[in-house]
Amino acid sequence: MALLLVGPATLFCVLQLVIPAAILFRYSLNRFDPAAYMVEAVTAENYVKFFTDPYYLGVLLRTVRVSLVSTFICFVLGFPLAYWLARMTSRWKNLMVILVVLPLFIGNAVRAAGWMTLFGQKGFVNYTLMGLHLIDQPLTLMYTEMAVVVGIITVNLPYMVLTLQSVIEGISRSIEEAALSLGAAPFQTFRRIVWPLALPGTLAGTILTFILAMNAYATPVLLGGPKFQMMGPLVYDQFSQSNNWPFGAAVSFVLMAATLSLTFLANLGLRGRTAR
Amino acid sequence: MSNDKIRGFRPSRRKLLAGAAALSAPAIISPFGGVIGTASAEESKKIVVGTWGGDYANLLHKNVETPFLEPKGWEVVQDTASDAPRRAKMVAEKRLPRGTSDVQALSDVNVAEMVAAGVLEKLDYSKLSQGANVLPVLKSDYAVPHIYSGLVLVYNPKLFPTPPASLNDLFDAKNAGKVGVIDIQYIYTIMAAAIVGGGSLTNFEPAKPKLLDLKKQGVKIYPTNEGMAQGLKTEEVGLCVMWKARCVQWQKAGVPVESVAPKEGILAYQSLFSIPKNAPNKQGGYAYLDAILQSQAQIAFANDMGYNPTVTDAPIADDLRKRIGFTDDEQKRLVAPDYTYVTQHDAEWKEWWDKEFKG
Repeated sequence: MALLLVGPATLFCVLQLVIPAAILFRYSLNRFDPAAYMVEAVTAENYVKFFTDPYYLGVLLRTVRVSLVSTFICFVLGFPLAYWLARMTSRWKNLMVILVVLPLFIGNAVRAAGWMTLFGQKGFVNYTLMGLHLIDQPLTLMYTEMAVVVGIITVNLPYMVLTLQSVIEGISRSIEEAALSLGAAPFQTFRRIVWPLALPGTLAGTILTFILAMNAYATPVLLGGPKFQMMGPLVYDQFSQSNNWPFGAAVSFVLMAATLSLTFLANLGLRGRTAR
Repeated sequence: MSNDKIRGFRPSRRKLLAGAAALSAPAIISPFGGVIGTASAEESKKIVVGTWGGDYANLLHKNVETPFLEPKGWEVVQDTASDAPRRAKMVAEKRLPRGTSDVQALSDVNVAEMVAAGVLEKLDYSKLSQGANVLPVLKSDYAVPHIYSGLVLVYNPKLFPTPPASLNDLFDAKNAGKVGVIDIQYIYTIMAAAIVGGGSLTNFEPAKPKLLDLKKQGVKIYPTNEGMAQGLKTEEVGLCVMWKARCVQWQKAGVPVESVAPKEGILAYQSLFSIPKNAPNKQGGYAYLDAILQSQAQIAFANDMGYNPTVTDAPIADDLRKRIGFTDDEQKRLVAPDYTYVTQHDAEWKEWWDKEFKG
């Protein structure tokens, strides 16, 4: 019975993820030749190139920084909203949840295109600020790290809110009421009751949005522009522009390893905290 | 890599000049013969065409496939992607007896690279009803030229009341902040910088200090041609280098730009079609090559895209020729990139561009 339940998904994962990942890893050990593109070899030179070149290390650090900042802001903005939704008893609750989900109906590229019209040199933001005489020169908003962070937040916020909402809904309201009735202040109730109970679920939401941010492609390309390089676009660029599959494969594995390591560290930190 | 092979595709400035002159010669009407497209019913009537997507693919469908191939029973399937993955596919399929495409749209630089990789079929022009009418200058052993244009200075007259005249205007400090470059046109921007810096089409090294100076001057880098058009329209920038054909398209779209041929020389650009050595339907491939050379298809592309025809029997209206073509003096300055050098050094220059110029 267990095999029937687990089998199809496992088989799908093995065929669609594990085998291609193994092939990709093999590619990462090959050598690049401008004429033949990929030459069979067993070498670590692509990994060495990545870790010894400040440019590529900079791309990795920028990706981690953007992901951490956008995940943190998603959490700060998402937690109050999720809490409010979770504790809502009104008949409008379903509608509110749908409103949170609604942005996910629009593709990332389309959403980024919308931001482009807002952030452009003569876009809505600059036009409004100049019209209100708050600035006399247009601000550079497009092709900046700020634009990318804003773009990623709008993509990831619904995931954070929905995850946190389901976690908070799992915490019985009566526990909070007990704390309040015993004289705890609302902030103390949050800090001592809600937050510790919500922590494992919060970590799940944070990891989900962090992984999405680390692997973002359309948003950094469209809002970051050619000079703003993150790991996702770098992988694409190596495969599709430079035809350097071995290095592109190595960059993919570095990205995967960085994401998994940071996720593992976050888990480890949480385990230590809950053990206390 | 064999340089001899690449030489099979290497039009010189002299040849380009002769070809451009031939274009302005009186039209010779050549009927679209039935040489191609007469495959028997048992043979495959499907042609798989690797091409860039967007306007180019749509216009191929409208101006080539619908009028010339479909009536003859050919079923055309477009495999649209940028050229890099299509090149990778061709190289990856090299050892297979049957590839997955019958004909591939490639740029002049791409063709040189694929010739060096040994994946393209040597063409037999006698199989093409229009073979004899291809401009001799553009004729290559491995690819049929489809359209061509040249790299010119494109400027917004509002920001540049005095028109630029030289490639050096891109790098002049007095124009700081008003110049834009296009990321995907990196190799041609590097060539322009090399020429200005005292280098040549076989020595790009002098481009480095010029481009780094340009970076310090606050050059704006746009990801695509369309992004540059927006930049020119909104006056974020006022000057760039671009194909004259693209400038004509921008003008049609209401972008307030003019173009001028730089005094140092006009780098030529060609879009071509090749047949992979292991194409499953070579007859279909030849049918496609012949269809793109048909005078009506060539005239339609000149009208729709602003590129110059590559055959002698495609007369275009004088006003259009004035907008998309080049004067006698300009024709003397047409020059083809050194495809051998570009093929050998493209990867390292792309890395330099990404890391040092953009980074």
